[in-house]
Amino acid sequence: MKYLRLFLCLVAFSLTACMSHVFTDTTTRLQVENKTDVTILGVDIISEDGKSVYTWIRDAVEPGEKSRVVEEDWVGSFKVRVRFDKWSGIANATYCAKEIDVEVRPKVMVQALAKKSEPNVIITDDYGCSQEGNLHMVYSEATLDFEGGSQHLIVSQDEDGNVAFKLK
Amino acid sequence: MKISKILLLLAMVAGVAFADPIPTEALTQSGLVMRDRQLRDIGLVMRGGRGGFVDIGYTYTPSSEQLQLKSKYGVHDGFAFRHHYGIFGSWALDSVSHLGFLTWFDRVGWDSQDFFFFPHYGDFAHISSSFTWGFSYTNTKYDVTAALGLQHQNLELASHKVYPNESDSLLFYWAHARYKNVSLQASFYRNTFQTIRLSLDLESRSLYGGVSSGYKTFLPNLSATIYRRKTNGDDDNFVRLNWEQNLYEQVLYADVSFDFPDDGFRSAALKFYPVPSRLLGIEASCLRRQERSGAKDLLWGGAIDLFFLRLGYNTVFDYENMFHAKGTLIAEIKVSLGKIGRDHFGRGASQPAPMVTTERKPDLKKILKARAEQQNLGSTSIDAQGNKVIEAKGIRYEKVDGSATQGGN
Repeated sequence: MKYLRLFLCLVAFSLTACMSHVFTDTTTRLQVENKTDVTILGVDIISEDGKSVYTWIRDAVEPGEKSRVVEEDWVGSFKVRVRFDKWSGIANATYCAKEIDVEVRPKVMVQALAKKSEPNVIITDDYGCSQEGNLHMVYSEATLDFEGGSQHLIVSQDEDGNVAFKLK
Repeated sequence: MKISKILLLLAMVAGVAFADPIPTEALTQSGLVMRDRQLRDIGLVMRGGRGGFVDIGYTYTPSSEQLQLKSKYGVHDGFAFRHHYGIFGSWALDSVSHLGFLTWFDRVGWDSQDFFFFPHYGDFAHISSSFTWGFSYTNTKYDVTAALGLQHQNLELASHKVYPNESDSLLFYWAHARYKNVSLQASFYRNTFQTIRLSLDLESRSLYGGVSSGYKTFLPNLSATIYRRKTNGDDDNFVRLNWEQNLYEQVLYADVSFDFPDDGFRSAALKFYPVPSRLLGIEASCLRRQERSGAKDLLWGGAIDLFFLRLGYNTVFDYENMFHAKGTLIAEIKVSLGKIGRDHFGRGASQPAPMVTTERKPDLKKILKARAEQQNLGSTSIDAQGNKVIEAKGIRYEKVDGSATQGGN
């Protein structure tokens, strides 16, 4: 009995303050798989005000390809931005969202094809809404929970024409 | 027994589930908080100014989702930590003079892994420490104490990704003077003051030669601290008034603080110490956070102090010293004990702990018996005629013939 208590104390002791990193991951090894039909130019973590950006995946990921695995200290819940070179729903872009808080340039939200959900692809344009040919950036944002360890982010296009994120 | 275990488990789960992440701003203010708390502790110990005091502890937060970090990017999993010690020792120069040395050390912050001595230094870590040391002189004839020393605030690591720039300020200095129950304490950085504190410990405490009952024990302990504060580059100093009041036989206290001139009520706590020596304690506290208005502004919490272990939930102490942690159960494994002469007491106590004297008188008979057996001296007995007979043991006689013993002769 005496030794059992000692043992339990040792277990409790080892679970904190020097040993917990054996059991919990403090980094995330991220790989991105591109299941859309456009190229992914990169994956960033961005701050809530959008002013600070930290690039996580720098590779361009062709449709159907996977990126390299990049290990970073991001464990928790963060806003992820995936940048594309273009978006196939652009031809149907009829929705111009000027009310979005942008100090530098206006944004164009790509209208969802089936109108079942809110559009989540954003295009920033140097010359304002409805000016095609002056695209600055095409991207989509989502807040994802990174649990640490090896994680696989699948980026695809849903039936509404929006970007779908799946983190495994 | 089973129900209590289930409740304990539920409390632990709830402690993690409803926890709020700690803001990065609270971490950048940790140096300020540490330095002030250390000086407040030193002020309490200097109330006696002799004997000794030791306070060692670390917080135990087993889950990486318990005290997450809220940065501009989102919510990070990890561990907030606080390791600390405070040691004061003194020796008597003569019958009335005591010379003392004191060191207080805190290492606090947030890292993606927990540790005792060697941090992981993750990408979003903030680790800083504060070290206060100095000398004290106490004269019990005039009942005065004077102490002075230095404070070093060391910023070990602050990730540039999420924390603003901080200056690493090593040379703060402080001084403390006490005459009877009036204390004045001040800390400075270069030629500007940081804090100035005037304390009036009017309550009569038997630990320091006062009485242990009567109206004098119901006098208040008051302290007013002027804090230096800058708001947008302008001086915005404020005064915090603390009022500690004995409510019942020096076991039940109220502790209230106000901020002047602007913010008004700051915090209130009701503390119950089962014995006046404060080795154990239970408290309920309420803090006004000045973040929102109305009732939501108030943070209610409680804590139990079991001498070796302190469990706190939303208390003022945890909110201030663990980077505005709230909604989570914080366990601190610690020891805090003071000693003057033969008296033991907890931090800020008014009476010494009841003496438990276990005098061990050596049992002479047993010792002699054991020694006799060990040396195998033999035993005495009385024969039929009443004479004492000693039977010798261990001596062997050998019967030998003359020729053999004479040998060559």
